[in-house]
Amino acid sequence: MSEAVIETTKLTKEFIRDEFHVVALKDADLTVNRGDFVALMGPSGSGKSTLLHLIAAMDRPSSGEIRVLGQDLRALTDRAIAHWRNAHIGFIFQSFNLLPVLSALENVELPLKLTNLKGAERMEHAATALKLVGLGDRLGHYPRQLSGGQEQRVAIARAIVTDPDLILADEPTGNLDAASATDVLTMLARLNKEFGKTIVMVTHDPHAASFATRVRHLEKGLLLPEGQAPEEWNAAAAHPGSEG
Amino acid sequence: MHRLGSLIVKSGLRNRRRSALTIASTAASLCLLGILMAMYGALFYGGDETPAQALRLITHHKVGLADAMPVSYRDKIRSLAGVRDAMVWQWFGGTYKDARDQRNFFARFAVEPDRFFRIRPEIVISGDAKRAFENGRTACIATEKLARKFGWKTGERITLVGDIFPVTLELTLAGTYTDPENSEALFFSQDYLRESLPVGNSQRDQAGAFQVQAMSAADVVKVAREIDAAFDNSPAPTKTESERAFQLSFVSFLGNLKLFLAAVSGAIAFTLLLVSGNTISMSVRERVGEVGILKTLGFTPGMILGMILGESAVISGIGGGMGVALAAVICVGLRQGAGGFANLQTMAVTPAVAALAMGTAVLIGLVSSVGPAVSASRTSILESLRYTG
Ligand SMILES: Nc1ncnc2c1ncn2[C@@H]1O[C@H](COP(=O)(O)OP(=O)(O)OP(=O)(O)O)[C@@H](O)[C@H]1O
Ligand SMILES: [Mg+2]
Repeated sequence: MSEAVIETTKLTKEFIRDEFHVVALKDADLTVNRGDFVALMGPSGSGKSTLLHLIAAMDRPSSGEIRVLGQDLRALTDRAIAHWRNAHIGFIFQSFNLLPVLSALENVELPLKLTNLKGAERMEHAATALKLVGLGDRLGHYPRQLSGGQEQRVAIARAIVTDPDLILADEPTGNLDAASATDVLTMLARLNKEFGKTIVMVTHDPHAASFATRVRHLEKGLLLPEGQAPEEWNAAAAHPGSEG
Repeated sequence: MHRLGSLIVKSGLRNRRRSALTIASTAASLCLLGILMAMYGALFYGGDETPAQALRLITHHKVGLADAMPVSYRDKIRSLAGVRDAMVWQWFGGTYKDARDQRNFFARFAVEPDRFFRIRPEIVISGDAKRAFENGRTACIATEKLARKFGWKTGERITLVGDIFPVTLELTLAGTYTDPENSEALFFSQDYLRESLPVGNSQRDQAGAFQVQAMSAADVVKVAREIDAAFDNSPAPTKTESERAFQLSFVSFLGNLKLFLAAVSGAIAFTLLLVSGNTISMSVRERVGEVGILKTLGFTPGMILGMILGESAVISGIGGGMGVALAAVICVGLRQGAGGFANLQTMAVTPAVAALAMGTAVLIGLVSSVGPAVSASRTSILESLRYTG
């Protein structure tokens, strides 16, 4: 019995500003089940980040439906969304996005400050998360004292410290060298397998996508059917008869 | 919000140089503001009005302090209802030793010794000195502070050369006294002054001011009105004020000091507002991206708002605290140099002044950051994140 963690129906996002009118995502129907590790692929501007942001409730859709972890995101106020995201989502950015004034430990502790945990418990959780990503000996280091790969591991620790149901990553290896990228991807795969975390990861990189259990492609705002890459889809569209 | 305290402090002080400059400029402004407030407080609310002072009024010529009134007014004033006593209160002026030395300036008044201690009961003086002052024709008394300054001993011969009055007075120090005002003053008998004036000199029959003692503090306003009404149609109409109001009018005599102090304080506060507003909006603008990160982690707009306001309050609070402390130290120095200007001797960064100054500092911090804080809290996550590396 697979339980749907993400369900979108005809999810659409348009950006309208003055004479600009961009359809970043059009009628996307996506289902992600618990335990899935989904890679979202596609060329630049195809709408990958847009879809990820909608799932994380960092932005609101123009139309269509979106349920994440059983919650209709459109029904929540901004404040409620902030709490919801803190409790259920771990987000990993391409550029790590650690706060430079805080140590690794304090960066990881940050999302816990919004919970009811006491100071000592927060520190303990944060230290555990850092150990899990192999940085148990770098607790007091500041971002500027860490390598890119280490920074991204701190960011992963920050994303998992609240024990979220869903981890979202937007090109997490985009700023890393091959070795660090493999470290990070191995770590995500481990979180998926050993801890059963559901992960949606945006990436350009087929190597990165190979760590995922499922791959979905986007092109020009359209989410291609499962198992189809852009070329096949184009070919399919050119030959009516094969279903899309 | 208390959990975010350390983040607020760390964020607020992240840019050492800028924080130091902001804190320093806040401290400097607040130091100045604190001193001005202390000065204002001392001049216009300085010291506590003693019960005896609350009973006293000063009657002077309506036109100004330089015009004299007939000395006979005193008896007329005494006869009015609500008046307990009245005496001549004559500013002598003149010079002691060398007028070019500022040190030699102090207040000298011709008064009526037999009434003096009744009207000014707060004065503390020995019985001997008091009797010697009341009975000696050329006797004078001085505040202990003044006597100490010149090294005067009882029996000291003090020569005052008049300027308003064409006389030279040879006074003998009958003793010293203390009073709550802690001023530098010398008093002698107005009879001696009068007798020293040449016969036929109109100043003999005139007085520059009268000091009046009311029956009760509640009567003071009414008594003042009645005194002035009594002389309204005479050639020398009067103006009667409470002693305190008189001192204040004396102060504002030096230009509109009150307005001046308020204007300077306002200008300082306004400048600080602009400076710190500029700094805050600069530092908030630099960190739009971080706001996006925090929001992604689940921080609500309200928290962002509170954090930015808090940061600004921390910085201006630190600067304000340093400024107020500095002002307190400077006030001690100014107080010692205040000399004969009695009011300024009470000048101090009182808890009220400190609270007011600190409040101003923090308020300026909050007001100057409210704009950037609101806009940062309202900016959407994706918009904010666009500013990250
Ligand atoms: N705030 C916005 N305003 C206007 N257009 C936008 C905005 N955000 C995204 N778009 C447009 O929506 C489209 C999809 O953008 P999106 O960021 O989702 O692409 P992406 O697949 O993540 O690309 P990349 O691989 O370069 O990150 C693009 O054409 C982009 O220009
Ligand atoms: Mg993208």
